Amino acid sequence: MADVNITVDGKAVKTPAGTLLIEACKSVGIEVPSFCYYPNLSLQGACRMCLVKVEKMPKLQTACTTVVAEGMIVTTDSDEIRQARKGMVELLLGNHPLDCPVCDAGGECELQDMTFSYGAAESKYIEPKNHREEQQWSPVVFFDRPRCILCYRCVRVCNEGMDVAALGVQNRGVSSIIAPNNEDHLECEECGMCIDICPVGALTSGSYRYKTRPWEMNHVGTVCTHCGDGCKTTLGVRRADTGMEIVRGDNRDKSGINNDFLCIKGRYAFDFANHQDRLTQPLIRKNGQLTPATWEEAFELIGKKFSAIREKDGGQAIGVIGSNHTTNEENYLLQKFARVVLGSNNIDHHRTADFPAFAAALRGRANATASMRDVYNAPAVLLIGNDPTEKHPLLAWQIRSNVRLHRSRLYVVNSQPIKLRRQAAGFQLIPAGAEGAFAAFLAGEDAALASLGGSKDGWTALRDKLKTEENLVIVFGSELREGDITALVKFGSAVPGAKFLALADYANSRGAADMGLYPDLLPGYLPVAEAGKFHQEWGGIPSAPGLSLPEMAESAKAGKLKALYVVGANPIARFGIDPFVFSKSFVVVQDMFLTETAVIADVVLPAANAYEKSGSVTNTSGDLQLVKKAGEVTGTKGDFEMIVRIADAMGFDVRQLVPFGRGTRADMGQTRGAQSGEADRHAVWLEANGLELKMSPFDPMAILDEIQRLVPGYNISRLALLSGNDQQTNFAASGPAVAQKPELIVPAADGLFRSGTLGRYSHTLHSVMENKDRQPSEEVAAD
Amino acid sequence: MAILKDIAAIAKGMSITFGEMFKPTQVENYPDGPGPFKGAKFQERFRGAHVLQRDENGLEKCVACFLCAAACPSNCIYIEAAENTEEHRVSGAERYAKVYDIDYNRCIFCGYCVEACPTDAITHGHGFELASFNASNLVYRKEQMLAPQPAHLGANSIFNQAEVEGGTPSLPAQGA
Ligand code: SF4
Ligand code: SF4
Ligand code: SF4
Ligand code: SF4
Ligand code: SF4
Ligand code: FES
Repeated sequence: MADVNITVDGKAVKTPAGTLLIEACKSVGIEVPSFCYYPNLSLQGACRMCLVKVEKMPKLQTACTTVVAEGMIVTTDSDEIRQARKGMVELLLGNHPLDCPVCDAGGECELQDMTFSYGAAESKYIEPKNHREEQQWSPVVFFDRPRCILCYRCVRVCNEGMDVAALGVQNRGVSSIIAPNNEDHLECEECGMCIDICPVGALTSGSYRYKTRPWEMNHVGTVCTHCGDGCKTTLGVRRADTGMEIVRGDNRDKSGINNDFLCIKGRYAFDFANHQDRLTQPLIRKNGQLTPATWEEAFELIGKKFSAIREKDGGQAIGVIGSNHTTNEENYLLQKFARVVLGSNNIDHHRTADFPAFAAALRGRANATASMRDVYNAPAVLLIGNDPTEKHPLLAWQIRSNVRLHRSRLYVVNSQPIKLRRQAAGFQLIPAGAEGAFAAFLAGEDAALASLGGSKDGWTALRDKLKTEENLVIVFGSELREGDITALVKFGSAVPGAKFLALADYANSRGAADMGLYPDLLPGYLPVAEAGKFHQEWGGIPSAPGLSLPEMAESAKAGKLKALYVVGANPIARFGIDPFVFSKSFVVVQDMFLTETAVIADVVLPAANAYEKSGSVTNTSGDLQLVKKAGEVTGTKGDFEMIVRIADAMGFDVRQLVPFGRGTRADMGQTRGAQSGEADRHAVWLEANGLELKMSPFDPMAILDEIQRLVPGYNISRLALLSGNDQQTNFAASGPAVAQKPELIVPAADGLFRSGTLGRYSHTLHSVMENKDRQPSEEVAAD
Repeated sequence: MAILKDIAAIAKGMSITFGEMFKPTQVENYPDGPGPFKGAKFQERFRGAHVLQRDENGLEKCVACFLCAAACPSNCIYIEAAENTEEHRVSGAERYAKVYDIDYNRCIFCGYCVEACPTDAITHGHGFELASFNASNLVYRKEQMLAPQPAHLGANSIFNQAEVEGGTPSLPAQGA
């Protein structure tokens, strides 16, 4: 669009036609106060805080609804404007309680800020204030009506952003009130977006309310550890008797791929960390009972046992199972530990998508993977399978926002009438299990139509339409495996600029696959049999493929697998393995809780979770992000440290495992200035230049060096990573991979309110689910 | 003659001594004096150990807003907030201080906390005997600083009595 020239407070501003005046002012650093205006939501014009003077217009205008016009001359600050704003604040405060000392918003309240800037010190109202008791609308949403300033942000974000429409307005004019959809409570997705967006303390969160104050917390930016979407979140932590307790999660600074979005799990379900069942002491089985022990005892025992079994029966008698929630560094270290220290390729994890097939299909193709940001920007999106609203809330948000704000075209092919069909330009229902047939049809196999149902013309029209879409993003669920993916990629290569996104279920599922938690694949999907850089770097690692997870159980049953090392996984419950098959094996489990797998273990080591360590994770679309340590529970250790300690207890030189103490080119004499402040600045500089001192064998950054050097697609900018940015990894230089058995993929049984083991130990998710169960399952406006 | 001169000088001196002996004392008779402060006298504005006040219903005035902790230049106030419920009501507002500690190792008696408090909950009392052989005794807990129940509520006041081990202290905190 053509640019328009306007003048704001004497500054010349050039801005595209159609820009709102408030945004034009913001672009030159002039802040126009506002309550009801919120970027990316529809315009409301309710609060009249943004009044500005536009020359030749008789009255003050609302900057949030006025579109710039050529030659406009605008004043944003004058006595008249201040007087008007002061009047608005005074009206808002007319019935506003003096709650600031107890109000959750106190300290970060927009009304407080406005009152400081414009407010009248005394009120002209002497009438008694109209009090209403606080209401609880759901386990996580509370409403304090007198504090509400009727900006309607909550209503709009729920309606437009979430497509739930659980909040509405009752009555008109001065007696308007915000009300939930189901008489006295909410029936919704419990995302907490309304609480987050509320400029005052009217909507408050069940998990945070009355606990602390914003300035009393430390704030740590990290990544949500639930689903595979990798939302960035800022966790508020405070001191507690047991270390550091997480009390709040949000992304108010809109950093990261998710803007300010978080679903219920990212916003509230960090409470598993402080569940009373959390393990805080190593346990060793003595006389058949798991008994508390010291760390030294535990590591010594594990080291002794593992060494003895490796000497006597060889590495193939030991199996290792990794996790979808641990960091890339831990996963990489774990498979390196299995291959180098144990001499075993028996390593696997709970797979939720066929990444090897995906990587193989995209091999040699640059720019073929879609990031989460692409989903928000692409002119068209094709979604095959999965139900993102339930399983990938951020992906669903990105798609909805894209359709709403950019008029992107969404095509949905699914066996269920999933909620995203409401945004779809085209929705096709197919029989369950026919997703593969659809991929084959797209690739040109018309015979596949038989299993799709519907008319041939309809399907062909859809295919032709898709072929004309430029920069199409093709998102598919784990229903597509092996050849289906190859077929889909074949179709995609005919569409200019098409990009792909495979959906896996857990926070670091993609990372676990990329880091080579496979019995027959090294990191970067290099087959173990092929002599390559890993063989060179690590020396004699076994080149015969190892056992997959079910095969390990078989082998244990046959008495051949003598030891099992499980890091943050629960294979017994997830795969329905009979626990007795491991009765003769020496089982070591690292976990937060006594899971079904941990109860059969000989040694259980209490592990820290992803909110309690640093490292990096890769979300399902391949966006690599940094996780930082926020919480802490005394008595636990990170998996990284435990793996290194076990290697050490086995008598292995840990320098061979973690390349710490190398690559430091910094002058140690100069890094310490006269004051500690100088030293700190220097450390930041070192970090920014990739010269951080990796002085400890427990430093994940030392392994990240090796990952960046050896794993194809991970050579991203460390500086950008450390600054908290997301960066896309890719498959262009991946190994050729090896075909995997499709039945090894077991999708997680998670939904919007479920999250595997983490969810089982989250009080918030439980209370929400119990609440849902209690309500009659009537049809709601929200679908 | 010299000796007479000396005797006269001593007599003159002693006359002052004996004369003063029977006049009322001018210095403070601490620590042998009467009253809770053992004879020590204070100006109204003296800033001594803190007292956490109660309202006329015996409820704690502190609403755990953390403003005192934010204002404190020596960072010595530690608060944990909790929510009042119907059954367990400690303060008049939605929230109360479940834990309220002042670390007198660090407090500089500047009075900023008192200035900051929106509910006049924290005040400086006149308690001054804070010395201790053990630094950890100098971290005062809420129970040590809380004002006694208002007399008109009597000893059996339903409010909060159980919270304070052995009942409320009868005096403003005096130091351990
Ligand atoms: S909403 Fe803001 S102004 Fe109102 S009581 Fe809360 S902090 Fe104070
Ligand atoms: S509850 Fe909050 S967001 Fe909703 S209208 Fe009231 S002030 Fe605005
Ligand atoms: S969408 Fe996924 S990553 Fe984002 S907050 Fe929810 S569970 Fe966490
Ligand atoms: S008197 Fe000063 S130093 Fe002492 S607690 Fe109050 S604010 Fe802190
Ligand atoms: S003593 Fe006063 S300032 Fe400190 S938390 Fe309590 S109410 Fe707030
Ligand atoms: S921000 Fe313009 S009217 Fe509310």
